[in-house]
Amino acid sequence: MSESILPAGVQPAEAGHRDDPHRTVDAVWKRESAKIIGGLTRMVRDVGLAEELAQDALVAALEQWPRSGVPESPGAWLTAIAKRRAVDHIRRARRLDEKHHQLAHEQDQKEQRGRFAEEPDQDDALRLMFLSCHPVLPTPARVALTLRLLGGLTAGEIARAFLLPETAITRRIADAKRGLAEARVPFELPDDSAELADRLSSVLEVIYLIFNEGYSATSGDDLLRPGLTLEALRLGRLLAELAPDEPEAHALAALMEIQESRSAARTSPSGEPVRLHEQSRGRWDPLLIRRGFAAMLRARDTQHGRPPGPYLLQAAIAVTHAQARTAEDTDWPQITALYEALERLIPSPVVRLNRAVALSMARGPEAGLTLLDTLTTDPALRDYHLLPAARGDLLAKLGRYGEARPEFDRAAALTRNSAERAFLSRRAQELAPAEPEGPTLGEAATAFLARDGLDASTVRAYGQTLRRLCTSFGDRYPVADLTADQITRTFTTAWGGAAATTWNRHRSAARSFARWASLGDLAAGLERRTEPPSRTLPIPPDQLAELWSRPGLPLREHSLWRLLHESGATVKAVLLLDVEDVDLDDRRARTPDGWVTWRSGTARLLPMLIADRTRGPLFLTDRRPGPARRPRDTDLDPETGRVRLSYERAEYVFKRTTTSLDPAGDGWTLSRLGTW
Amino acid sequence: MRYLMTTKPTDVAPDENLFAAMGAFVEELTASGVLLATGGLAPNGVRLVSSGDEITVTDGPFAEAKEAVAGFALIEVRSEEEAVELARRFRRIVGDGESVIQQVFGP
Repeated sequence: MSESILPAGVQPAEAGHRDDPHRTVDAVWKRESAKIIGGLTRMVRDVGLAEELAQDALVAALEQWPRSGVPESPGAWLTAIAKRRAVDHIRRARRLDEKHHQLAHEQDQKEQRGRFAEEPDQDDALRLMFLSCHPVLPTPARVALTLRLLGGLTAGEIARAFLLPETAITRRIADAKRGLAEARVPFELPDDSAELADRLSSVLEVIYLIFNEGYSATSGDDLLRPGLTLEALRLGRLLAELAPDEPEAHALAALMEIQESRSAARTSPSGEPVRLHEQSRGRWDPLLIRRGFAAMLRARDTQHGRPPGPYLLQAAIAVTHAQARTAEDTDWPQITALYEALERLIPSPVVRLNRAVALSMARGPEAGLTLLDTLTTDPALRDYHLLPAARGDLLAKLGRYGEARPEFDRAAALTRNSAERAFLSRRAQELAPAEPEGPTLGEAATAFLARDGLDASTVRAYGQTLRRLCTSFGDRYPVADLTADQITRTFTTAWGGAAATTWNRHRSAARSFARWASLGDLAAGLERRTEPPSRTLPIPPDQLAELWSRPGLPLREHSLWRLLHESGATVKAVLLLDVEDVDLDDRRARTPDGWVTWRSGTARLLPMLIADRTRGPLFLTDRRPGPARRPRDTDLDPETGRVRLSYERAEYVFKRTTTSLDPAGDGWTLSRLGTW
Repeated sequence: MRYLMTTKPTDVAPDENLFAAMGAFVEELTASGVLLATGGLAPNGVRLVSSGDEITVTDGPFAEAKEAVAGFALIEVRSEEEAVELARRFRRIVGDGESVIQQVFGP
C-alpha cells in the first residue's frame, strides 16, 4: 500500500514510522501526480520526460524533507521544484527554439511575481487523462499508463493488482510512452467535436475497465480487488469534475458508485459471489448509493435533450436496482426496457444476455430462455461462462434439472476465477440426480484417448476436439445422451467460422469417437467441407487481436496491417497508395484498379500516420535513398526525401513480428492479413 | 479505506478568509473524489444512556462541551499517511485546535 515511489536504490530510512518523509512523499505524490505531470507535460510536450522531471522532484523531496521537515504545502513544493527542473531542462536543451525560450521566460517572470506556487491548471489533469487513454495505444497500455500517471501508482502496485510480473508493467508503460511520442499525439484536446467525443469514450472505457477488473476480477482467487475499484472511482469522480458538461462522465461515476455500494454484500463470508437478488440490501452502502443518485441527476441535467449514452443507460439500470427496497420490488419491466435501449446502442451478445435475464424476471423464465437460446450459437460467447450459468439458472427455475446441471458444470469449467468456480460447481451439485448411468463424457473421452496404438499427434488433435465437447456439455454429461443435433450445434458454434481443414479434422475426430463408443452416427449433421487446394488461410481472430494489442506496435506497421486486413486489397496496391489518393472522410482511397475501402480501425490510425503531409507515398521508410540507387520521384516524399516502403521490407517486418504467433515458427506473409 | 476526522470546537470565530480557504479545500477534495461527506454539528443534542432495561434520555447542552465534536469529514483514501496529510492541511487552515482521525470499518 505504501511502497516507495522512488527509483530503485533509494530506500526508506525508517519505514513504518508516522513521520517518515518517504511515506508522506508517497501519499502526497499519489494525490498530486496527475496535476504535476499534467502541468509539466504542457511545458515540455513529452509525457515521458515530464514524468522523469517529476521523479527528480520526488528525489529532491526525499533529500530535503528529512532535514527541513515536510513543507507547509507539500504538493505546491513538489510542483515548484518539478517546474524549475523543467525550465532547466528547456534551457539545457539549448535548441534556441523561440517557443521554449518564451516558456522559460514566462516561467521566470511568474517566479519573480511570486506566483510560482500557483495551483496547477486542473485542465492539465484532464488533458493528461485524454493522453494516457489515447486510442493509438493498445488497451492494456492505456490502463497501465493511466494508473501510473493519473493514479500515481508504481509499476509494482499495478503489477500486483493485475497479477502480472512487474517487468511486464514497466515494459508496457515504457512502450506506451514511446508509442505516444512516435505518434506525435498532441497534448491539447482535439477541437473537432466528433474526435473529442471519441477520445472521451476511450477515457470512459479505460476507467470502467479498471473498475471491472477490480469489481469482478477475471482471474485469480479473490473475487474483488478493492484497490482497483477505488482507483477507478477516484478517476471517475475526477473526470466528472473536470468535464462537468459531459453526461456520460457523470453517468459513469453514478454507475460505479452504485455498483461499489454493493461490494460488501456481493461476496459471502467464504468468498463466494452472492447474486444480486439474494444480497442483503441492508449491507448496501447508503452513502455511495446517495452519491450515485446525485451523479445520476447531474448526468440527466447535463443531457440537454441528447439521446442517452451507454453509461447513462447502465447507470439507470443500476439506479433501478438500488431503488428497490426488496428484490421482489425490482422494476424488471423498466430494467428490460433499459436493456433493450442499450442493446440498440451496443448490439453485443453480452448485453443481450443481460436483457434475457431481465426479461426472464419480468415475464418468466420461458421468455428469457427463448431469448438466451438465440445466443447459444454465437461464437463470441463460446467461452463466456455467464451464458451457461444463466441458462442453467433458467432451466432450473423451469424444473428442467437434468438440463440445468450440465450448464452449471460447463460454466464452472469456463470461469477463470476460483471463487466463482466453487459457486457454480456447488449449484451443479445441488441439482445432482443419482449418479448418471453409464460412463460420462469425461470418462469416455479419457478412455478414448488412452487407447493403445495412437500416435502423439493424433492424441493431440483428437484431444482438442474432445476437450471442446467436454466444455460444451460438461465432463459429467452421460455420453449415451449425446445426440447428433447437439454435436452439430457445438460444432457450428466452435468451428463454424474456421477453415475447412480445421472443420474436417474435428469432424473426423468426432466420427472416430462416436464409432469407438458405439454412439451411432453423431456426425450425421456435419457436412464434410471442400478444402481449397492452396488457398491462403486467414489469421485466427484471437491471434489477430493479440497482434493489434502488441505494446509498442509502430504506427506505420499498425496502420498498414489494419488497412490490409480491413480492405482485403493486395499488398502491392496498398503500398502504392499516395497521400493524395486517400479520402479520410469516406474511408477509401483511389487505386488504378478502383477503390480500396477500410473500417474504423484504419480510420483511427490513418490521420495520425498522415499527420500534416499532403502528398507523396502513404507508407514511407525511415531512410533516404543512397546516392547509388536513386528511386523514381513518385516513390519519394517530396518534403523529406524518404523512400516509399518496399514490399520486401514490409513483408520482412511482418514475418519477423509474427514469428512468435505462427505455430510453425516461420512468421506469416502479409497476404494472410487480407484473407478472412 | 475510509477515515472519519472529527474536530473539537474552539472559541475562535471563523472569519471570511477561513470560509474561503475551507470552501476551496472542500471543493478540491470533492473534486478528487476523496471527501465523501462532511458537516458541522450543533452544540446542543440529546444524550441517551442505557442501563439494564432502562434508557434515560437527557437534553443537552452538556457540561463537557470541550470534548464534544463540532464537525466531521468522512474521507476515502489509500493509506493512513494520506489521511494524516489531509488532516494536516485542514489544521493549517483552521488554526489552533484539535482533530482526531479514525479508520472506519464496515458497512
